[in-house]
Amino acid sequence: MWCELGQGNFFDEFQMEGVAADHNEIYLELTPENLSRALKTAQNAKTVKIKLTNKHCPCLTVAVELPSLSSSSRIVTHDIPVGVIPRKLWTDFREPTVPDFDVSIYLPVLKTMKSVVERMKNISNHVVIEANLKGEMNLKIETDLVCITTHFKDLGNPLWASEDASQDRDSENMAEARIDIKKLLQFLAGQQVNPTKALCNIVHNRIVHFILLHEDVSLQYFIPALS
Amino acid sequence: MAGSLGVGPARKEREAQGASEHARGVVARAEEVFLGRDPGLCSEIPDRTLEKMNCEMGGHQVKVFGRAIHALARISEELWLDPTERGLALRSVNSCRSAYASVLFPTSFFQLYQWSATLQICDSNMPLHLKCKLGMKSVLPIFRCLNILERNVEKCSIFTSANTCRVIFQLFCKHGIIKTHNLSFQESEPLQAVFAKNMCPNILKVQSRLLADIMIHFPLSQEEITLAVTPMKVCFKSYIEDEIDFAKCMYTEMHLDPDEFDYFQIGVDTEVTFCLKELRGLLAFSEATIAPVSIYFDLSGKPVAFSIDEMVLEATFVLATLADVQSSRSSPSSLCLSQRLKRSDLMKSKADAGDDLTNTEKESSTVRAASKRPSRHERQLDATELESFYVPAVKRLDTHIAEATENYQVYSKFCSLFFGAVSPKQHDFNHPWINLATVSDSEEDVSNGPLSQVF
Repeated sequence: MWCELGQGNFFDEFQMEGVAADHNEIYLELTPENLSRALKTAQNAKTVKIKLTNKHCPCLTVAVELPSLSSSSRIVTHDIPVGVIPRKLWTDFREPTVPDFDVSIYLPVLKTMKSVVERMKNISNHVVIEANLKGEMNLKIETDLVCITTHFKDLGNPLWASEDASQDRDSENMAEARIDIKKLLQFLAGQQVNPTKALCNIVHNRIVHFILLHEDVSLQYFIPALS
Repeated sequence: MAGSLGVGPARKEREAQGASEHARGVVARAEEVFLGRDPGLCSEIPDRTLEKMNCEMGGHQVKVFGRAIHALARISEELWLDPTERGLALRSVNSCRSAYASVLFPTSFFQLYQWSATLQICDSNMPLHLKCKLGMKSVLPIFRCLNILERNVEKCSIFTSANTCRVIFQLFCKHGIIKTHNLSFQESEPLQAVFAKNMCPNILKVQSRLLADIMIHFPLSQEEITLAVTPMKVCFKSYIEDEIDFAKCMYTEMHLDPDEFDYFQIGVDTEVTFCLKELRGLLAFSEATIAPVSIYFDLSGKPVAFSIDEMVLEATFVLATLADVQSSRSSPSSLCLSQRLKRSDLMKSKADAGDDLTNTEKESSTVRAASKRPSRHERQLDATELESFYVPAVKRLDTHIAEATENYQVYSKFCSLFFGAVSPKQHDFNHPWINLATVSDSEEDVSNGPLSQVF
């Protein structure tokens, strides 16, 4: 999963100094649960400050100022241990490029998709996502006893800059990929807010690439296809 | 008992499923549920006139009572029932004696409260209270679903019969249904930890809402928490024991202004560390009550008490705290000795005053249960068997120093139990007790024995 947040959209103040002037980036590794827990308690906060500190080890210190009954606020600090990733490993974490997909299609309402997949997960471990350039998408599961297909129509296909590949394609042809249903559900369950744009690129039998665009955030989710 | 009315197997099974199968507890019997419309039919219910305790509470009270049991269940697998003239006390203590909880329901809580001392003669020629220990696994299922209890139960009756060693819980539910649970109890000395709350230099009183708001910042998996105070500031912070964990665990600190507390008295700057997991029982309980929670504490090593004092009940949780290794200058044994002296002095003065030591924890009796981590270089505490700990609650003292001596030896055992007694010869790895404060000198200890407590 790849997620990008624009600084200006979130932070009133933002200061950083990367490794070097020409590589003004810092790569940190941390347990997301820690960060999510720290931020969850900051729901009603007056201010939140996030700093990279060096306590017993490098830490991301989240300092939350909470409203209180008295004149002075309550201050909660969370020190989340992080690992600083050395520059030589940065290439491992490059933003994945958008693959040469066969079909690109807008997703249906995520809530609907999620409730469909949730029911499917009890029946099968894998789901096939297929879509074509006519705005049709199907979710299929198949077991010994039963086959279930959910059809979505009139979804629309986004236009990409380089349309060469898709021009040659017969618009009725479905590109499909068989993926782990739990991973799909994880992705769908994680979405709290409806995105401005949500689309899906399918590389036939290789990978499914979801792109979600909110006002301030972009999220990309790659799920490899199973054989 | 003739079960002349046939009971379907499905119903029997359902009833059995709902109850515990603890070896000592006894399951509610389907026949009794079915026939319970007229208690006279159940010939096994003992004659109430022989009972030692008989109390009844209304529907609204059952939920509160059930909550108390849930809170105590977090501490231990065993529940002590101690009826007294003041009311019914529920108590529990954890296996390593580092946490003790007591909830007293005064007589005003009950619609009916009858209690009589037995006429049993014992050594001191004094009447003994009912000594009753139940398995938590037997009692908790009776009060498992508080919401269902609230909806269905109109009255709950609890009575005992010493001659059959049973405690009977009867829930009178809607539609004339009566559920009767016969629980066997184990005879035991009444449990009581005596803690001099009034002697604590530091007292905080806080709304339960605020306490919940504080604790929510700490993960459920957080074992221990430190409360650090000065007259200007209050701070709760997570306590991370092992150095290995530092690099993995999130550390959280929360600072509060003294103004936020209903009552704020700090006599001595201190940092006390105690088990948060056990406290959560009290926290859940306190959220349901409207009364504030009072926190009594002293220097590190001395226990911390959390108490709720309402019209309808008095709840106290006493937790041992870690001693600050750096600050203890003297050797543990001399510290222990000096405490014993202090204790005997106080006991002497109490004896002179002619006070009886009765089994109410609110009396200003004077045991300070200390928890110490013996300094890493000195381990000359005597090897004390961590046998079962019972404080004889009723020990009438004549104004004899000799008796006082005998008593404080018992109390000093209480003290040493919190010490994590270490044999000078070897580590007893088979020891069942895991103490809040443990000693480890070397790497081997880390791999061989559990260092962190398991509750």
